[in-house]
Amino acid sequence: MDELEEIKVTFFQECDELLGDLESGLLSIDAGDTEPELVNAIFRAVHSVKGGAGAFGLEALVRFAHVFETLLDNVRSGKTPLESDLVKVLLRAADVLADHVAAAKLGGEGDAAATTAMVEELEAWTSGGPGLAPPALQADVQPNEDGIVFKPVTLTLPEFEDAPKEQVWIITFQPMDALYARANEAGLLIREIERLGKVEVELLDDALPVFDNLEPETAYFAWKVRLKADVTEEKIREVFEFVEDHCSTTIVRETSPTALAETGPGPDIAAILAAAQAAYPEASPPLTPPRIETVAAEPDLPAEPATSAVAVAQPTSLRASPAPPAEKANQATIRVDPERIDKLIDLVGELVINQAMLAQRVAGHGFAASSDVGRGLDELEQLTRDIQDSVMAIRAQPVKSVFQRMPRLVREIAGLTGKQVRLVTDGENTEVDKTVIERISEPITHMLRNAIDHGLETAEDRAAAGKPSEGTVRLAALHRGGRIVIEVGDDGRGINRPRVRQIAIDRGLIAADAQLTDEEVDNLIFLPGFSTASQVSDISGRGVGMDVVRKSVQGLGGRISISSRPGLGSNFTLSLPLTLAVLDGMVIDVAGQTLVVPLTAIVESLRPAASEVKKLGVQGGVLAVRDAYVPLVDIGRVLGFQSAEINPAEGVVLLVDSEVGGRAALVADSIHGQRQVVIKSLESNYQQVPGIAAATILGDGRVALILDVDALVAMSKREPLRMHEPSIQAAE
Amino acid sequence: MNQPAITVANERRELTSFWAGDQEYCVDIMSVREIRGWSAATPLPQSPSYMRGVINLRGAVLPIMDLAERLDLPPTEPSERSVIIVVQVGERLVGLLVDAVSDILSINPEQIQPTPDVGCDQAKAFVRGLITIDDRMVSEIAVERLLPELEGLAA
Repeated sequence: MDELEEIKVTFFQECDELLGDLESGLLSIDAGDTEPELVNAIFRAVHSVKGGAGAFGLEALVRFAHVFETLLDNVRSGKTPLESDLVKVLLRAADVLADHVAAAKLGGEGDAAATTAMVEELEAWTSGGPGLAPPALQADVQPNEDGIVFKPVTLTLPEFEDAPKEQVWIITFQPMDALYARANEAGLLIREIERLGKVEVELLDDALPVFDNLEPETAYFAWKVRLKADVTEEKIREVFEFVEDHCSTTIVRETSPTALAETGPGPDIAAILAAAQAAYPEASPPLTPPRIETVAAEPDLPAEPATSAVAVAQPTSLRASPAPPAEKANQATIRVDPERIDKLIDLVGELVINQAMLAQRVAGHGFAASSDVGRGLDELEQLTRDIQDSVMAIRAQPVKSVFQRMPRLVREIAGLTGKQVRLVTDGENTEVDKTVIERISEPITHMLRNAIDHGLETAEDRAAAGKPSEGTVRLAALHRGGRIVIEVGDDGRGINRPRVRQIAIDRGLIAADAQLTDEEVDNLIFLPGFSTASQVSDISGRGVGMDVVRKSVQGLGGRISISSRPGLGSNFTLSLPLTLAVLDGMVIDVAGQTLVVPLTAIVESLRPAASEVKKLGVQGGVLAVRDAYVPLVDIGRVLGFQSAEINPAEGVVLLVDSEVGGRAALVADSIHGQRQVVIKSLESNYQQVPGIAAATILGDGRVALILDVDALVAMSKREPLRMHEPSIQAAE
Repeated sequence: MNQPAITVANERRELTSFWAGDQEYCVDIMSVREIRGWSAATPLPQSPSYMRGVINLRGAVLPIMDLAERLDLPPTEPSERSVIIVVQVGERLVGLLVDAVSDILSINPEQIQPTPDVGCDQAKAFVRGLITIDDRMVSEIAVERLLPELEGLAA
């Protein structure tokens, strides 16, 4: 990849984040949040997209972003009131912007018709506002390279008389490192100014350190350009348009063509810079110069109140406000190659195993836990755990990045189906491994489509059923049983079981006289080629819906299930592994093998008395636990490690909760205890193994398998079912 | 017809040869990641019997396949002298349990003869070709065909 392409990739990554910020900001406003910073944030997002797009010559994107930005700018300055109708328009404009970005990523341009319509709508709102203000006169708020947001430093300047035809502009131009890093050249920009008129250029080299302290890639120089020309400030600013995020410029008009800024009534640039830089004594000045914008000839603009943190050089004419506190800076992110993190995770896994091995050997040499060595080991274990937690947290990501994309989808489908839909999300901060994040978006999209298209009724039908006309779709994420569970629910009509059954019979998916439970009928919708929509719609109903979802979920080592109540709605539950994470597990022995059971699945462990174990049928058995009978599951037999059954009364029983079959009692030979284990994928070198979620490496360096409790319970049910089914059918 | 292709690929190839079930086999040396001694493997439930289980290869879970049993020969009795050859198949690593490593062969591609039509399906499926060195016959294993078909993961 050449360098420009790399930068472009970064730009599109940033775009995705910015578009996410834009949408979540608009949604907060839509939900009634009146925080003014939100408007600034959405403005910045659009502005940054435009800036980057300009650098890559993505003209269609720039043009649209500009129109969007103009309207937002009016909103920001209060010239266009932010009504809820406008927010809806802005949300749709954000969708169009996202389309443009997506199109630009593929080297094309966005849908021209949709763009034109949206541009017209936006412009109508822009001109419909109480006043028009050219955006260039507005003070800009820009995040700089570190993500620190500088509020505009507003300078209240002495009022000007009617400007002479030939004006003198003082332009101070200070490039940041990033300007050079992106292959821009200060000299070219100054030459560009030279084209506007007569210039005198002065080099400001105050920031240049002594040679020993010189950083070769740091920008130290600034320039002061005195431009004599008949131009507007806007015209000058255009020169810096594509580098405005990577330099700080001030443009002021010299009041008297002969007087220089230092002596004249105009602001003292050097003093302003010094004052602003004094606010950031820790930062190397050329790295984080505050952006200083001047607002010329608009003296009635309210100035930001000065704060004591800034040494104000000219108290009467200059007021400045420092950057907001560090909370914004904390949101700054760094980009790291995921491979490096994977490597780190592997190494830490090794460290954990090594530490466990060391502990075992030390114990083998007869050191007591209270000895110096024992205590040292304890501390090492604690540290190892902390490091492990921190490392795992690096790669884990909240599902928010996926959930954020869903409101748009819901809006679009709602628009296409003419239904009123409200999306409620829950558990956005549930963290899951990055590799899972990347792949859950597709099944969620399918499930949401299905919920709106098939699940929800039309507004009229809902009203007739006595429900609110607006349907609710719920998207939630949570951790359960060492897995991540995604739920997509709706409050629609629920599954029409007789119809589903009839369709399955019509399509030859089941026999006409098949005896099916409600649950089994519901699950028919996952069969390939099943589609309940009588008309094929654009949204779903092409007969590739739910079976595709199930396939892709299974490909991830996950499961999908549905529960539905007629008239009340359906709920899809997606359960996925956390692929690479640490797991608290119970280490058990089964038929000479060491296995790990995820602790989250275990309700309790007990040693049952012989009287509590009841035989049921030929092979089955149940355990009486406090007045309830729980099916016994012999782990060794289900996995095929042994054929003889363990007598539960001689072994240990783990009561577990499973998604599929409720509570079950797993029978094992013995329990070693609890410990934290590193999950190692079996799939990376082999393949999924039934009943096994993953593997781990124990303190002695051997591999132990981690049980998939749900699958195990399901397997134990399937076995006897298959044997008994024919005889039951024959009897009937 | 095949003549031009063979003469173009005139570079010498290096192969690692080893013994499995009284027969000599080899794999391309470029696919061999390492050779290590036998250590007890953790058995995998519901897996073919030639999958001996998994071992810890510096933090990664490495499946171990008994090559002899995979080729329908009598299963290998692992001993202290048994060897695991870790080979790379695509993105995956798999350990082949064999009796002993014997040699490094440097051959011309012309020395490889196509597998003749023999009765044994396994031999036909997994042997890419035959190489004659002095009076020894060494069969080249097509490692990419060894792993069982990955069901349900094709997407």
